Amino acid sequence: MTTKILLALTLLAGAVQAQTVTGKAFGTYVNAAGVTSQSPVATLPSSGGMATGQADAFGVPGAVDASWLNAVTTGDVDNKKSGAQSTSELEQVSVAGGAITADVVTAIATAYFGQFTGGSDAEGSGFANLVVNGEAITTEVAPNTRVDLPGVGYAILNEQIPTGNGVTSWGMTVNMIHVVLQDALTGLTTGEIIIGSASSSVAR
Amino acid sequence: MNQARHLSLALGACAAVLLVAACQKDVASPTAGTITAGIKPKPGGGCANFRLTGGGRVDKPEPETGKSPPSSHDFATFGFQARPDDACPFENAGSGNIEWNEHLETAYGGGFAFHGQVTVFGTPNDGSETNPQCGRFGGFGRLNPHNGATEEDVTFEVNHACDVDEPGVGQDHIYMRIGPLADGSIYFRHSLLSGGNIQWHRLTGNN
Repeated sequence: MTTKILLALTLLAGAVQAQTVTGKAFGTYVNAAGVTSQSPVATLPSSGGMATGQADAFGVPGAVDASWLNAVTTGDVDNKKSGAQSTSELEQVSVAGGAITADVVTAIATAYFGQFTGGSDAEGSGFANLVVNGEAITTEVAPNTRVDLPGVGYAILNEQIPTGNGVTSWGMTVNMIHVVLQDALTGLTTGEIIIGSASSSVAR
Repeated sequence: MNQARHLSLALGACAAVLLVAACQKDVASPTAGTITAGIKPKPGGGCANFRLTGGGRVDKPEPETGKSPPSSHDFATFGFQARPDDACPFENAGSGNIEWNEHLETAYGGGFAFHGQVTVFGTPNDGSETNPQCGRFGGFGRLNPHNGATEEDVTFEVNHACDVDEPGVGQDHIYMRIGPLADGSIYFRHSLLSGGNIQWHRLTGNN
């Protein structure tokens, strides 16, 4: 009898421990010309809670300029429902020497599960007054939109990368501007710039 | 209770709040009113038996849903964790943090970032308590306006943060008040979520 109770408690403890959440958000990441630089990163503790990473301004000459960088991730874990939601936003953004600009860049990644369902999404992510190659983008940018940046490389706008198996785990990473820097002659990748990144995942 | 319901119906004009009270019409309206206590006491006293986490984005006032157009800065983003204070040193004592970033250029300070610390936590009394998965919390924080000097010890109150269902977009909702601010105004924004989620969790013996 005692053995059965111990076994049940062990299984129960295992089930509870299986619930996990992750969350991460940051404003900018630059890897260019041998230099790597990143704005403050918010990383959610594995037990849930809240983390922030903020800066009034961030700049790497020729790569990125931005103000009011705010990265926040929150989450909670229990056996009935868990969730993580991560947000990154920046204002007055200029990327790749002004090839891409925006008043506001917002990345939101959400992952959750409840008693009967789970999921993840990037709802709420977007740009305010986005301009690409001098052209104003006045509509919502579809997920994973590729634009060429002459002399720079290319960018994926509103990059969304789902994670998890969709049965017991769900997750989403969203990078609002992901610039791939390329050598103008060879086309080889020489670096990357990420602006507005948020990731969240849950598992049970 | 009747008084609480009456006050909830009057939100948008004049509301009792956690630590301050103020009449309000819009973001820049002047303050007036009396100090009241707002958080509904838990029967029998003590502290709440649930916690809340959330984060995401709010745009249009309830009951509208969805994002503002890409040309608009009319939205805010947020993240919070709020719960009763473990030691419960006084009734409805709370702990936690909230970040609230307003982007509307005509809002106070041309937009701002607010970093708040939760000191009280309990059940709403603005009508949203009919949903058992709503909470109310408040405290003090630092407000960094885009145009202007930092303000310390600014009062805030989340009149309600409600976990209606999963996913949270278009279902969960939150009502944020900050102020009185340096010019005497009260900032507020209340909306269904256009991004993110709010989760309500019952406290157990372990957490």
